[in-house]
Amino acid sequence: MDGLIETLRSANSTVQAIGVSVGGFVGVFATLAFFFIMIAAADRFNKD
Amino acid sequence: MQDVFIGFTSITWKMLVMYGIGGVLIWLAIKKQYEPMLLLPIGFGAILVNLPLAIAWEHEGVPGFLRILYDAGIANELFPLLIFIAVGAMIDFGPLFRNPLMIFFGAAAQFGIFATMIVATLLGFDLKTAASIGIIGAADGPTAIYVANKFARDYLAPISVAAYSYMSLVPIIQPPVIRLLTTKEERRIHMPLHEKQSPQWLRILFPIVVTVTAGIVAPISVPLVGSLMFGNLIRESGVVERLSQIAQNELAYLVTLLLGITIGGSMSAEKFLNWNTILIMAMGLVAFIFDTAGGVLFAKLVNLFLPRERKINPMIGACGISAFPMSARVVQKMASEEERGNIILMQAIGANVSGQLGSIIAGGLVLALVPLLVK
Repeated sequence: MDGLIETLRSANSTVQAIGVSVGGFVGVFATLAFFFIMIAAADRFNKD
Repeated sequence: MQDVFIGFTSITWKMLVMYGIGGVLIWLAIKKQYEPMLLLPIGFGAILVNLPLAIAWEHEGVPGFLRILYDAGIANELFPLLIFIAVGAMIDFGPLFRNPLMIFFGAAAQFGIFATMIVATLLGFDLKTAASIGIIGAADGPTAIYVANKFARDYLAPISVAAYSYMSLVPIIQPPVIRLLTTKEERRIHMPLHEKQSPQWLRILFPIVVTVTAGIVAPISVPLVGSLMFGNLIRESGVVERLSQIAQNELAYLVTLLLGITIGGSMSAEKFLNWNTILIMAMGLVAFIFDTAGGVLFAKLVNLFLPRERKINPMIGACGISAFPMSARVVQKMASEEERGNIILMQAIGANVSGQLGSIIAGGLVLALVPLLVK
């Protein structure tokens, strides 16, 4: 991970933007997926 | 004698252009009713700050009232956070709890933020400024102001104006993009309505868990997420109804008023009238288009894996932007126009409140990731 960040630090701004975009987009999906699991689990728990 | 006429002699053509821009914003607010609570004070603030000598901003080293408001509420990010408390108190996550799958559209429709960021770097902006421009695609004024204030303070005015202007233009921007990417048949898809009520413990626990999660994933996003979720907790707790009402009304209106006129006050001709402002306004529009396209295309992708009777109306994907509740209303109107009696409003609102979540998480991640790469 540190190696990737070091590589991106020395890259041009467009490559850096692509790196931030990939990380950011994956991060948003992963975080909202966690909330989805939480809501789904609460729904299941509520039925039981 | 010259001092008597200093008001006349110090007017420049740039000031006159700014009066025109302020006038257009006021006209849009009054005549077209586009976000009048924001565009009206922004427009007036833009005129105020560009009057000769800019007394409202600063005079002979003494801050004027606009500068005092700017330092008190924008420079330290207080106003956007207070707005978030108000917005949180207004948001009902119930439609999302009834249709939890909608949460993913709140992620997909953040595509515009990231795509626009890349485009901005191609146009020559540095990463921090590009990130601030991309955040216009959050379709979320306070987040745009918050990020721009941290990364690109010189462009705060055009970024804020773009964010709020395009939010008000959602009914004009989204429909053609949706029509371009969907077939008539797809726009007529019906979705079943889930009537079940979500338990109160979930409504109370949700804002707390979201805040803690955001604090762990992107600690820098805590002010954004925390203030939004604090407002929501006030609403859902059910024990401080007066506070909830004050947050939704008096707090929201007062801070919106101050925020609007202060943003307008930051639109001095020297800072605002340049080529980059035009580029930022153009890229803001691109961000909204990419957002809409990202959400719709993601819905179409999901549909590939769903059985016929459970297919999603892909217009719902467009509601994953944070412009709440305007985007949901636009999509419901389109669904009704395609087929009378097709009600998808609840699902649309579920996606729309997810967009609010998605946009602040995206804002937080951008705030966390960009400083890792550039100082």
